[in-house]
Amino acid sequence: MAPLLEVKDLTVRFYTQEGVVTAVDGLSYRIESGEKFGVVGESGAGKSVTALSVLRLIDSPGQIESGEILFKGEDLLEMSESEIRSIRGNEIAMIFQDAQTALNPVYSVGGQIAEAIEHHLDYTPEEARDRTIQLLDRVGIPEAEARFSDYPHEFSGGMQQRAIIAMALSCDPDLIVADEPTTALDVTIEAQILDELRELADEFDTAIQLITHDLGVIAEVCDRVMVMYAGKPVEKASVEELYYDPKHPYTVGLMSSIPRVGDGRDRLQTIPGTMPDLVELPSGCSFHPRCPFAEEQCTRTEPALTDVETGREATLDTEHAAACIEYTEGLSQGLTYSVEVDGPADDAVSQYVEGDSRE
Amino acid sequence: MRRIYESDAIHRDDDEAHVPNERRRNTTLQAMRSVPSSTLSDLLVPRRLRHRFVTVDVQTPEQEYAVGEPIPFAVTIRNRMPFPVSIPTVSPLLWEWTVDGNVEASEVPLRDPPEEAGSFAFDRGERKEFRKRWDQLVRVSDSEWTPAAPGTHTIGAAINTADAERTGLSAETTVEIVR
Ligand SMILES: Nc1ncnc2c1ncn2[C@@H]1O[C@H](COP(=O)(O)OP(=O)(O)OP(=O)(O)O)[C@@H](O)[C@H]1O
Ligand code: SF4
Ligand SMILES: [Mg+2]
Repeated sequence: MAPLLEVKDLTVRFYTQEGVVTAVDGLSYRIESGEKFGVVGESGAGKSVTALSVLRLIDSPGQIESGEILFKGEDLLEMSESEIRSIRGNEIAMIFQDAQTALNPVYSVGGQIAEAIEHHLDYTPEEARDRTIQLLDRVGIPEAEARFSDYPHEFSGGMQQRAIIAMALSCDPDLIVADEPTTALDVTIEAQILDELRELADEFDTAIQLITHDLGVIAEVCDRVMVMYAGKPVEKASVEELYYDPKHPYTVGLMSSIPRVGDGRDRLQTIPGTMPDLVELPSGCSFHPRCPFAEEQCTRTEPALTDVETGREATLDTEHAAACIEYTEGLSQGLTYSVEVDGPADDAVSQYVEGDSRE
Repeated sequence: MRRIYESDAIHRDDDEAHVPNERRRNTTLQAMRSVPSSTLSDLLVPRRLRHRFVTVDVQTPEQEYAVGEPIPFAVTIRNRMPFPVSIPTVSPLLWEWTVDGNVEASEVPLRDPPEEAGSFAFDRGERKEFRKRWDQLVRVSDSEWTPAAPGTHTIGAAINTADAERTGLSAETTVEIVR
């Protein structure tokens, strides 16, 4: 059977007057059915553009310039507008970065969900209403029946986000693409909602592509993860591998920026510098201006995504891949950092270290 | 940096569930201002003359650079006319910079713009300045760069029209890389 989703060599560009922005550059990944797949990276890495491409929601001046997006073996990029419309919502649903994008302020929350159900699943209005109330209740909206006709502004941020999850689940899709579904919320609500999302997805056997800039969130929800930097994947691995044995310096930097309870240090400072302007990427490895291990060859050679075990170019089947010269030609100084595991098992934190001067 | 959700590059539809809503922010004003003005220029200015109204210039702060030193340059494109002008381009790629004739100092093709016409629009008297930087590296394959040799190099810029050079919609300057 064909995998649920296979993105192959996707390139998305924006033609702007300042220049050509390559927001997604030769990106490939696969999501199996029921799998929870995380995409992580800093702001501007191309996470949302990737997600929106999967639903074919990129418009001019954005262009999907090349690649294939195979959903159950069929290329979404080859489909007609009406075919893609029937995939959206029915088979792939999206939770957008902000609730305002998803909920129409002029219709009641329940009405919007019910309408989607009626339209996509051919339910009668009564059936759709019942199912909507059931779903709102399932995602944890109290007094779901009474709140069916509330308007979006009458819901708190957390409740809006729950309603959007209900909407995404409403047509029983095979894949939910969740673009930072909880960033606008406070931490406790975020944790609750992520738990619910994961539980519901398991129960409905739905795959999730979860996008976030927070590796901690990935650890809560995902099985596998792709780390993106400047439009490209720099590391792909299972969540366990990524935490206990990160292979790319950027991943290590991201991990040391996970805030831990009781840790006063400002961890967000750990990767100095900012992501480059995607109009004008640095030569070689795009991460070199910020990488503590960068050597001259990093400015001259762009490392391919490589199987860290074999040193061969990664394929969609590779278990653990990273794009760093260390795994191809090899760096002359190598990579040295430590992974420190303390307390609960999901609390691995790694740090760059200078030689062995630590401790 | 632009974020995708804050831009128009996203398919929106209020009537389709599971698709972003139309934005309700006040963006109409901008659109109203720019749409009629470019239409106007397309009507009034004969295609053949349009290019005379726009000039292109490339400048570097210095004449000489040491080996390895990044070379900043500014590309200035100016509409000399007191009315809006838009220049039709071969593709949505509006303009390009080159080093020794290679687009963005690359010996390999960098991109494959869609085969549809674009349009480079200027307000009356508008001057657009783009600041770029050449790191003295030449991209020799998809994944390899090598340093440029010392000596004279030409940095150019051209609007993406079929005959930019002949019609004055391009410019160049030279720099010296010295040891
Ligand atoms: N309309 C646009 N025009 C030009 N460039 C754009 C546009 N929209 C997005 N981009 C570019 O695409 C890149 C990727 O944007 P995207 O919104 O996917 O980032 P992201 O990883 O989702 O970031 P965030 O975490 O902030 O949501 C950005 O760096 C930006 O430069
Ligand atoms: S290739 Fe070089 S710059 Fe890139 S991550 Fe590896 S060490 Fe750092
Ligand atoms: Mg985003």
